[in-house]
Amino acid sequence: MNREINVAILTMEGTNNEEEAYLSFRFSGTSPEIVHLKKLENRDKKLSNYDILFFPGGFSAGDYVRAGAVMAARLKSSLMKDLEEFVESGKPVMGSCNGFQVLVELGLIPNVNGDYALEAALAPNISNRFEARTVYLKVDKGNCLFLREFEDNEIIKLPIAHSEGRFVPKDKEILDKIIKSRMNVISYVDSRGRQAKYPWNPNGSERNIAGVCNKRGNVLGVMPHPERVFYRYTESDWTRENSKTGMGNPFFRGAVQFLREKY
Amino acid sequence: MSVWLMNEERAREEVPILGKSVAELSKISKQMHLGLSTDEMSRIGSYFEKEGREPTDVEIQAIAQAWSEHCSYKSSKVHLKKYIFGIGREKIVAEGDAGLVSLDDDTAISFKIESHNHPSAIEPYGGAATGVGGILRDVLSMGAQPIAVTDVLYFGTKSVKGFPSPKFIESGVISGIRDYGNRVGIPTVSGGIVYSDFFSPNVLVNVGCVGVVDKRKIISSAISKPGIKLIIAGGKTGRDGIHGVNMASAVMEIGEEDVTTVQLGSPITKEPLIHAVLEANDRGLIYALKDLGGGGLSSVVGEMLQSGGVGGKVFLEKVLLKEKSMRPWEIWISESQERMLLAVREDQVNSVLEIMDSWDVTSAVIGESEAGKRLRIFFEGKSVLDLDTNFMTSPMLYERPSLVKEKQVIQWLPKYPTDFRRILRNMLSDKNVRTKEYAVRQYDHTVRGSTVIGPFTGIVGREGPSDASVIRPNWSKETGVAISHGSNPFYSYIDPYLGGRAAVDETVRNLISVGSEPLGFSDCLNSGNPENPEIMGEFIDMVRGLHDSAYALNLPFVSGNVSFYNEAGRRRIPTFPTILGVGKVENIERSVTPDLKGIGNAVYLVGVPTTDMGGSLYYRHLKLDGGRVPYSDPVTLKRRGWNLLKAIRSSCIKSVHDVSDGGIAVAISEMTVGSGIGATIDVAPLGLRNDFAIFSEPQSSWVVEVGEDREEEFVKILGDDTIYIGRTQDARFTVARGEESVLDVDLESILKNWKKGYR
Repeated sequence: MNREINVAILTMEGTNNEEEAYLSFRFSGTSPEIVHLKKLENRDKKLSNYDILFFPGGFSAGDYVRAGAVMAARLKSSLMKDLEEFVESGKPVMGSCNGFQVLVELGLIPNVNGDYALEAALAPNISNRFEARTVYLKVDKGNCLFLREFEDNEIIKLPIAHSEGRFVPKDKEILDKIIKSRMNVISYVDSRGRQAKYPWNPNGSERNIAGVCNKRGNVLGVMPHPERVFYRYTESDWTRENSKTGMGNPFFRGAVQFLREKY
Repeated sequence: MSVWLMNEERAREEVPILGKSVAELSKISKQMHLGLSTDEMSRIGSYFEKEGREPTDVEIQAIAQAWSEHCSYKSSKVHLKKYIFGIGREKIVAEGDAGLVSLDDDTAISFKIESHNHPSAIEPYGGAATGVGGILRDVLSMGAQPIAVTDVLYFGTKSVKGFPSPKFIESGVISGIRDYGNRVGIPTVSGGIVYSDFFSPNVLVNVGCVGVVDKRKIISSAISKPGIKLIIAGGKTGRDGIHGVNMASAVMEIGEEDVTTVQLGSPITKEPLIHAVLEANDRGLIYALKDLGGGGLSSVVGEMLQSGGVGGKVFLEKVLLKEKSMRPWEIWISESQERMLLAVREDQVNSVLEIMDSWDVTSAVIGESEAGKRLRIFFEGKSVLDLDTNFMTSPMLYERPSLVKEKQVIQWLPKYPTDFRRILRNMLSDKNVRTKEYAVRQYDHTVRGSTVIGPFTGIVGREGPSDASVIRPNWSKETGVAISHGSNPFYSYIDPYLGGRAAVDETVRNLISVGSEPLGFSDCLNSGNPENPEIMGEFIDMVRGLHDSAYALNLPFVSGNVSFYNEAGRRRIPTFPTILGVGKVENIERSVTPDLKGIGNAVYLVGVPTTDMGGSLYYRHLKLDGGRVPYSDPVTLKRRGWNLLKAIRSSCIKSVHDVSDGGIAVAISEMTVGSGIGATIDVAPLGLRNDFAIFSEPQSSWVVEVGEDREEEFVKILGDDTIYIGRTQDARFTVARGEESVLDVDLESILKNWKKGYR
């Protein structure tokens, strides 16, 4: 693809991570646009005109119901067909934090059975409180297009900030399918890269799951926030480290590279 | 209730005050919850005598709002003018609901700290949440994008009969800040929690906000032309928060607390309101702007018109309501949250309404400015208020009697301690020292992706404290905004004057520590009943202290507030300031954190220990009352601080931490927490007895880790202000005096004690 890459960052009231998502995409060389859900609902804007769809974090509709539920319900009622088409065309779709919750509520993640049914939930953290800190993560990238710039089994650090992040599949069968298809692409680990319990696993997720990608590799949901560490200067330990770029940066670079090569 | 009765009740009512006796006037003030003195009631009486009529309820209520201590600063203004307002004026870019200083050629920093003490004492969750909401609006009303929320909290330690328990208050306040701040999407990055019996049951919630604005887009709140339309935008108006300012201007009594005075917050209404207002400002559509806080529409409309020298009219039935049955005076003074008043030129009204609608924000045109000096309010065609704006917004100012109590200073010489290790452990696990992660980790401090230094730094999984936060407001620039606080109620309790100076010192120390140049302050002044001469004396002492330090540094106080009457129940609070300071980091890459960086580096002390131990953590642990409070000399602070800044900018420094509670022993311990690197120091060059050397809290002091090959350069910059005290090492923190061992503690024990109560 030689033309501009158009990114839709989808918001509604209560979404509040759109600014850092917007900037991360802009500094990755794309043309991002913050699109209010209303504009898609009333057909002012068309989803098919975009190349990447990003669901930022926040508290859509206040999250006074289940996190992400209201936004997902609004999308389902008017835009589900467009969303399915977007996903099936193979274009990159990503959600972080509340965006991950929305993707799960929509049935786009994990979607092991391919019928966009609700197969998992992001339940309240086992600590029963909001957790804002940096976590260690292991990347098992599989075919996920957002992770192609990482080394396999690379240990990275990203910030989290959520109170409902415990990934719980609906049943064991779904969990098995996720594991078997290597869809659990990002997991919480301790400082030495081992699977460990709370506080290393900050919310008590099943199998330490922090991020899930669909089978095709183009839809990624993650609880941590890659968009908040696009540059190294916002990593919580950057004054001790010598990294060149932020650990969230490769997520965006990966998506851009993918589109440039594929289209 | 029949419809007829409802209409009857909603109609304007006259309040007969002409010819009434002093006792009768005082009764009216009490019955209507006006909080006005008899002098003030008489002044209103003579105004209406000249007008030849009785006032309406709307008029009386409007005047009571404007003249409340909270809105008018009637007890403090004389002193603030004398000591605070004149300092460093040339550094102030603009003033209004928040104050502005310059960050770089194009950008100004808008910031303010204020108290939300009284509402938080009555309803901790709602009070704290709306405190965050209110301060965000203050920063926004200058046209600025909020980039950080801060909060300094003071909790009591004992239950007091008739008041909520300290635990209930604490968990309510923390949840309130969390739920509001996190939902509105502005990072909560800085602050503090202080525990003391001083604050049982008078909890103090001091909340700050920092924002940035393009200098060409700073908005004023003054309307100076007729025909400018007034648009109310955001939340609807309800009965929540009626008489909030009057309640905050009196001593709370058991059983009298009134929950209707506390406003209800809605961050999900606020979040789009911020976007919508900033978009309208970006497109140049806002003529003037003010947030609706204390006193509601009444205060805001009055001040916007009066400051620009025009009059105006408002139609109350156009205000969108939560409850249809609200009476005109309730609509006029309601303090419902999430509302902004935009003044817009007539030809731009539609564009503004469209922007609001695109963000799903409700808005309505409710009136306009007019030539002249009169404010006229109508409700369903009837006039309910017709006042001279000058009269309404010019309260009586008081120079209340003050008394400075001469206190005898006892300088204790405590018994020489036998176990330094035990003292250090106790200090590290003291509630006022140990980690506040149990609270602060519930606040999102990385949202917006621009937090360069947050509340905790160091190795992931074992972070220690930072001195100040740094935000990078623009991803295209290397500039950072440093944010920190200073306050010490323990010092202020003993000596309000030196406590004031120490608060300035701490703020400056923290800002320097991360490598920023301090630019200015905002001050939140907490006190008791100003009608008590002794308290007024303390208040004057405190502002003199602030003045003497800030004047010598030539750094302005650009905004702030005063909270009197914090003396419910059994005791009053000390009179003390919480200062919010901002600084400029020229290049974020050069900013530093307190966690030690490498083994074998040199450790230097900037500053010298003191024998003035009054209010120190050491004396508090020994239960020693009194003693001289550590003395801050702003000239020394300026020399050491700005030289240290030079050393940081030239990258000689690996880590730096200011010396505060618990002296250099606690400072170095905290530097080991986030790093797992220890230190060995020799206190022989410091003189003094060992406990004074390591536990005293000298002002204008820092512990600095200097890179091996940069020592010469560092010492050259700092000169006589710095002393070599030791080196960093593996696994232990040890203190010796020559050959004699004073303290030897392993890092795991430091970590465990400092992290006590959090996992």
